[in-house]
Amino acid sequence: MLARERADERRTRIAHSRALDPLEPRARPSSKSCPQSPILAMAPGEKIKAKIKKNLPVTGPQAPTIKELMRWYCLNTNTHGCRRIVVSRGRLRRLLWIGFTLTAVALILWQCALLVFSFYTVSVSIKVHFRKLDFPAVTICNINPYKYSAVRHLLADLEQETREALKSLYGFPESRKRRDAESWSSVLEGMQPRFSHRIPLLIFDQYEKGKARDFFTGRKRKVDGRLIHKASNVMHIESKQVVGFQLCSNDTSDCATYTFSSGINAIQEWYKLHYMNIMAQVPLEKKINMSYSAEELLVTCFFDGVSCDARNFTLFHHPMHGNCYTFNNRENETILSTSMGGSEYGLQVILYINEEEYNPFLVSSTGAKVIIHRQDEYPFVEDVGTEIETAMVTSIGMHLTESFKLSEPYSQCTEDGSDVPIRNIYNACLLAPDLPSFVLPDKDGGEMWMCPVRPASTSRSQLLQLPATPQLDVLLLPTASSLCPGRAGLPVCVQGSLQVCGPQGVRWTAGLGWAAYTHTVPSSLSFKEWTLTTSLAQWPSVVSEKWLLPVLTWDQGRQINKKLNKTDLAKLLIFYKDLNQRSIMESPANS
Amino acid sequence: MHVKKYLLKCLHRLQKGPGYTYKELLVWYCDNTNTHGPKRIICEGPKKKAMWFLLTLLFTALVCWQWGIFIRTYLSWEVSVSLSIGFKTMDFPAVTICNASPFKYSKVKHLLKDLDELMEAVLERILAPELSHASATRTLNSSIWNHTPLVLIDERNPHHPVILDLFGDNHNGLTNSSASEKICNAHGCKMAMRLCSLNGTQCTFRNFTSATQAVTEWYSLQATNIFAQVPQQELVEMSYPGEQMILACLFGAEPCNYRNFTSIFYPHYGNCYIFNWGMTEKALPSANPGTEFGLKLILDIGQEDYVPFLTSTAGVRLMLHEQRSYPFIRDEGIYAMSGTETSIGVLVDKLQRMGEPYSPCTVNGSEVPVRNFYNDYNTTYSIQACLRSCFQDHMIHSCKCGHYLYPLPHGEKYCNNRDFPDWAHCYSHLQMSVTQRETCIGMCKESCNDTQYKMTISMADWPSEASEDWIFHVLSQERDQSTNITLSRKGIVKLNIYFQEFNYRTIEESAANNLVWLLSNLGGQFGFWMGGSVLCLIEFGEIIIDFVWITIINLVALAKSLRQRRAQASYSGPPPTVAELVEAHTNFGFQPDTAPRSPNTGPYPNEQALPIPGTPPPNYDSLRLQPLDVMESDSEGDAI
Repeated sequence: MLARERADERRTRIAHSRALDPLEPRARPSSKSCPQSPILAMAPGEKIKAKIKKNLPVTGPQAPTIKELMRWYCLNTNTHGCRRIVVSRGRLRRLLWIGFTLTAVALILWQCALLVFSFYTVSVSIKVHFRKLDFPAVTICNINPYKYSAVRHLLADLEQETREALKSLYGFPESRKRRDAESWSSVLEGMQPRFSHRIPLLIFDQYEKGKARDFFTGRKRKVDGRLIHKASNVMHIESKQVVGFQLCSNDTSDCATYTFSSGINAIQEWYKLHYMNIMAQVPLEKKINMSYSAEELLVTCFFDGVSCDARNFTLFHHPMHGNCYTFNNRENETILSTSMGGSEYGLQVILYINEEEYNPFLVSSTGAKVIIHRQDEYPFVEDVGTEIETAMVTSIGMHLTESFKLSEPYSQCTEDGSDVPIRNIYNACLLAPDLPSFVLPDKDGGEMWMCPVRPASTSRSQLLQLPATPQLDVLLLPTASSLCPGRAGLPVCVQGSLQVCGPQGVRWTAGLGWAAYTHTVPSSLSFKEWTLTTSLAQWPSVVSEKWLLPVLTWDQGRQINKKLNKTDLAKLLIFYKDLNQRSIMESPANS
Repeated sequence: MHVKKYLLKCLHRLQKGPGYTYKELLVWYCDNTNTHGPKRIICEGPKKKAMWFLLTLLFTALVCWQWGIFIRTYLSWEVSVSLSIGFKTMDFPAVTICNASPFKYSKVKHLLKDLDELMEAVLERILAPELSHASATRTLNSSIWNHTPLVLIDERNPHHPVILDLFGDNHNGLTNSSASEKICNAHGCKMAMRLCSLNGTQCTFRNFTSATQAVTEWYSLQATNIFAQVPQQELVEMSYPGEQMILACLFGAEPCNYRNFTSIFYPHYGNCYIFNWGMTEKALPSANPGTEFGLKLILDIGQEDYVPFLTSTAGVRLMLHEQRSYPFIRDEGIYAMSGTETSIGVLVDKLQRMGEPYSPCTVNGSEVPVRNFYNDYNTTYSIQACLRSCFQDHMIHSCKCGHYLYPLPHGEKYCNNRDFPDWAHCYSHLQMSVTQRETCIGMCKESCNDTQYKMTISMADWPSEASEDWIFHVLSQERDQSTNITLSRKGIVKLNIYFQEFNYRTIEESAANNLVWLLSNLGGQFGFWMGGSVLCLIEFGEIIIDFVWITIINLVALAKSLRQRRAQASYSGPPPTVAELVEAHTNFGFQPDTAPRSPNTGPYPNEQALPIPGTPPPNYDSLRLQPLDVMESDSEGDAI
């Protein structure tokens, strides 16, 4: 093969030597033998060339012209196409070979570009490990935030007005159960309804556009055109009359009206708005005292075959759920782990849920909420909790899936959040460092940061400065999220507090105690997910009820002086179904 | 002789390498190899030569490094994962159902009579200590109590905790018990179970923070003790029979009844019934999603006949699992509530792995160093079976008897107080032992096929108020042949188990890097950096062999010359022959052992002339073959 090629080459050389200068590049032993005599008679450009040749003698390819050099290159290179260009006889063939070679080069370049661009892709691998698993942190909250008997004195006026509203709207009869409340009403009879004065509850008649009737005064009010139906973009409201309320800024020239198709929603939202306002003025220690203590909430506790008690739980206070207790989240302590699957090796808790202490307007369901989360993760009580029914055992079996993502440049992940402009948010939260700050998931997959802003320490100008950072949209407290006055960037004063609507309906209220900031935070690098299988069964069973309830009462006897009913109790089992942990790992697809 | 001659010839042919000195060999190699770099080294000027030499070295290093990486990657046995989701006709999962209560109370009452009386006394004592003094004196089976009594630990004085037997004044005669017991209901007292071994000399206390737990644990320990002494056949009879539990059954459009269920005895829940286990007959497939094509069951749990102290939860335990696998229903089961219809949509989440050396898993558990006690059921290997067998193994080893909840190997006995008085202490110790669990976890391997049934559970009240009457009538008639309603809302459970619209999600492993991958990557790297192929490697190997030969030849020559010098020490050396002289000077112009070429188109006119200018060597074959042959045959004798 080699011999033939060489023979070819020889033949071509002979063929070309007829047309070209009979300079055989290979035959030239060294540059020194290059003819130098014609230099003098040459043009200046050629002179320089010759000079260079003289001063910088080149060994190797001896080509006085580019064409020669190319020829030499094509004949001697190891790439395969070039040689054919030179070797081929006939213009057509040569052109064809040039075409082929150039196409091949182009293809190579294209493919290389593709390779380079696809370098930062990942491949996903799923693995199963069988090992001792860390038990997640479990946060348990009563659905009702505060004992009604304890907060009642704060909410008496509000309750009274709510009852009045119900009475005038729906002809709601006097509550028999809470007759004592009615006795209060006589005392407050003469008082001006201050809550409905600030945010009036209105009833709208379909046929009288722009007119609304105030519940309390009975006066007809003129409402400006900006009528916001709750969820009006989803469905068309057909009912004859709708209920709503009006939010006005201080000078009452700019008002937004919210309407609801059902009075239940309207009254609950209205109540919540005032409730938040009232509770925001109560100091945290007092609020914690008004809520449930751990000893009260947890009747029994059993983990991994060993008894546990209230000391194994840490308190955290949530504005809408009161005192919540987190198991397996003790700082400076090792994380508990399970080395056996099954309910007997998991967490077994019996909760005492005192239905009598429920706030009738704030919460309408009974039970507890449980959130399973990572130790360093904030429990998103409102969003991801599992609700637990009373007089039932709720058995939650878990499977653990852990995901690992690659950081930059493979994906938009952050390892510890330092490369995300979160610092700003923390700084903002430092306005009231003694109150807890929150991280809540956003609808768009980002995170929403809630941190308290104490009204006293926050001036109007300060608040308005906060959203100046472009990444930070500021959001208002959870309940009033439905109450955005609508016009972006316009501050509205509601009940002495300030509300600002961000661009896409993102809202912010200050003055009610909380301000929240939203930012799409890239998800972290590794996260654990517990897949839950929840099932219910009757507990206690008919036959065991007789002995179980007295013993539980005895257990709880230290806190309460009341015979327990089974509807006051809920049992919760949280356990690993098996110790298989699935890991989903990203690894670089290319190296 | 003939063969030897042939071999010799072969050797000579081999020895006839491309030169007689190293330099010659290298030049020849560089000139003739198909790898791209070396050729440039020899046919360029000195500066370029150096550059090409460096480049070649660099790229060789690069290729070697890359090869190292590839080979290491290959040997890490990585897998790639493929995921598929969809619907296909699949075998319906095996469904195991159990009653939450293991036994009918009416049938086991005679066994538990003493224990229940004792339990009632204990409860009375806890709840109202001052009142129960009188009643505590009634006849109680003190042997049960004395073996593992419940005690109150008064921790109001943390430095001197006072231990009080619940029936202290009756049995143990502890002083000042009644006085402190009265106050002990208040904060600061906790209950504990005393577990003793070695005839009551070595005792430990198992503490509880609540009385509920204490009495429940105590009772179940005692009940275990009692049931362990009853032969299994009797236990099966005391549990719920299939025809009473399974009232109605419908699979797709086909009716089924309790005979379609395989019964196994699961110590924790009594009789369990498995539908579609696939042990004796083929597994039933389901070809459609939706409730109408799944399994519909109506079960009666008979809540009134529950053992009151043993189970406080009422309902059905239910588990979906693979065919031919043992249901570990206590770990992986879910509850279904009475008086409701529970609908369970199923998605089969299957993970199939490659096994060794790709993933550390076992296909059938044969290589796991734990004896599988669940083999009697003829089920497939599972990690739960391994862990339980491991525990039971430890139990038998340290307590000399097997735990009632786990299967028993042949020739061993279940633990009970009568034969093994120390077992409770030993068991409690073993159960809490972290090392025991970790040993077991270390020994057991997970199975390569991991199937999870993802369930979407929803519930509704059943039967509705309107249909309640006739449904209860029909069911009562069918079960008890009575015209009165014998069933109640508290006792019946309806279950619908069906495939979801997408019924499988399969994650399958395949080898990420196979041999073809390895070879093509090695080739790609070698080709990219050096333009080589496997044949180039063979060329290289050839050169190395030649190197070795040259070395051997030189050594032999050296040895020979030494010998000659010793023999004719007086001479300064023989006068050089013509052949030797020629050899010494002209071996550069060595001719490779190729087919003869026509002299006028001789392939290497330039190459011969270029590197070392000089006269082209004549064909000295006739001159040098003769002495060489002599020398080579000698050398060969030395070498072999």
